[in-house]
Amino acid sequence: MGKVTLRLENMGNFIETLIRGLMLGSVYALVGMGLTLVWGVVGIVNIAHGEFVMLGAYFAFWSFSLLHLNPLLSVVLAIPVFFFSGTVIHKRVTERLTKAPELSALILTFGMSILIWNLAQFFWTNTYRSVPYLTGNFPFFGLVFAKSKTLSFFLALSITAALFVFLKYSKMGKGIRATSQNPEVALVCGINTMKMRAVTFGMGIALAGAAGAIVSLQWVIFPQMGASYVSKAFAIVVLGGLGNIQGALAGGLIIGVLESLVTQYWSAKMAQIIPSVTLLLILLFRPTGLFKR
Amino acid sequence: MGVALLMIFLISIPFYATDYWITLLVQILIFTVYASGWNLFSGLTGYTNFGLAWFIGVSGYASSLLIADYQWHWLFAWPIGALFISIISIGVGVILLRIKGVYFAISMVALTEGTRELFGTEYLEPLTHGGKGVPFVAGISLATLYWSVLLLAFLTILICYKITSSKFGLRLIAIREDEQAAETLGIHTTRAKIIAFVLSAFLTGLAGAIHFTYQNYIDPSFGFTIHLTLTPIVMTLFGGVGTVFGPAIGATLFTFIHEILWAELTLLYMAIFGGILILLILFFPQGVLGWMKEKGILPKIRKI
Repeated sequence: MGKVTLRLENMGNFIETLIRGLMLGSVYALVGMGLTLVWGVVGIVNIAHGEFVMLGAYFAFWSFSLLHLNPLLSVVLAIPVFFFSGTVIHKRVTERLTKAPELSALILTFGMSILIWNLAQFFWTNTYRSVPYLTGNFPFFGLVFAKSKTLSFFLALSITAALFVFLKYSKMGKGIRATSQNPEVALVCGINTMKMRAVTFGMGIALAGAAGAIVSLQWVIFPQMGASYVSKAFAIVVLGGLGNIQGALAGGLIIGVLESLVTQYWSAKMAQIIPSVTLLLILLFRPTGLFKR
Repeated sequence: MGVALLMIFLISIPFYATDYWITLLVQILIFTVYASGWNLFSGLTGYTNFGLAWFIGVSGYASSLLIADYQWHWLFAWPIGALFISIISIGVGVILLRIKGVYFAISMVALTEGTRELFGTEYLEPLTHGGKGVPFVAGISLATLYWSVLLLAFLTILICYKITSSKFGLRLIAIREDEQAAETLGIHTTRAKIIAFVLSAFLTGLAGAIHFTYQNYIDPSFGFTIHLTLTPIVMTLFGGVGTVFGPAIGATLFTFIHEILWAELTLLYMAIFGGILILLILFFPQGVLGWMKEKGILPKIRKI
């Protein structure tokens, strides 16, 4: 009898870890989808992507602590704000790189990443901060979940759903997909590919910013936090296949679940190695990603 | 003749210069080797190596541990550290150099990050001392250190010069311009890439071993820091990618800029660095030497 209850407890623990992983992964997926979208459509590998997650987190933090804005509202507000900033950055800076070799963009966004996090460090210092909005846990069929993480999960899923609907059914979404499949033919068909690239870059940044605002609900934020998100995002993009949005969603969930399982059953330090190891293994054995397009 | 005079001047420096200037020169020379080593592989083949810190860190760790835990003399620890990273690089090169373009760059970042995390875990702690780091004293005078790194920098530039004016160098450049075409012309591209990769690993690894002997300390976040990858790339871009003296010029200028910025604007220093990187790519992608060639100050072609 004792053994059976023990096993049930273990099972409960396992399911809890699994669900926690999915919640974590949904946020990672947002970051990864932004990166894969920009990479696939604009052809720019944005190493500074994680820095926009950090900026999104600070956006939510400052609007909470200075303007007493509800963090849920700042998640919604972050999307247009970061979208607009993204299109401006693209028109001013990255658009010049569409003809340049891929590696120039790599080094340029690397510089952008260094610039952004160091400015953040300069203006906001290295203090660890958090948004104390929704704290505490709630029971659910004998399992326990953090309120903030559950809320984040649903926020991330809604944004993902909105993105899918936009890309699938809206006119602009179709234009973006056409640009991604064949820029020349899209141009011949009367699609303003330059505009599509700017819009896509903005969307990628908006996804990162929204993910950052969501992140601020559940974890501490600090200027260098972008690095860990961008390394996860790269693993996710490679897992899902370059430019594959559904793949990135699945990749994000996989990375989240793996991280949660390893943290629970092995060690938190080993969980940090997962993105690098996954990335290397996928690149070596299945460079096109786990899923066929 | 000019080179000989410059060498005599550089060799004689420890006899009259202050420690401050020798230290500054040591930094310039170490970064000259890093930048030239990066340029030797990435500048010629076009495969951007974002894992230079991995070469530096692994070799730095190997030699530091030999000196700290096994009481080796630095003269033997340095080359063993560099040989160690070269041998690992053969394996890594065989595996990773199949990956092209951006993916190669990212996989090198992943390799560096993964190794950094791994060296800090409890599993490798008996060997690497984990996150605590390895403090050690090698018992080498500043002047000796300076002469060693001067010799290394001289040899590195000589090797780069010989390679760029050799058939092997042309093969590497052919890979950069069009790898498929190079292959069709009968170049064994994989072998050429691996040789350049391992040579780059050996030279930067040797400089890394000296670097951490000079710092008397290494730990995971310090040995694999992104700065060790970034700074040499910026220096090379500034001096001129794919040129022989570009990295040395970039290293010299940037170490001085670093000295001034660091003293005046410690907190904004890295941000300015990032900004410079962006501006370089946008407005000055050819570097100092490329610009001088364009303006006709330097001849555009060179005899091979």
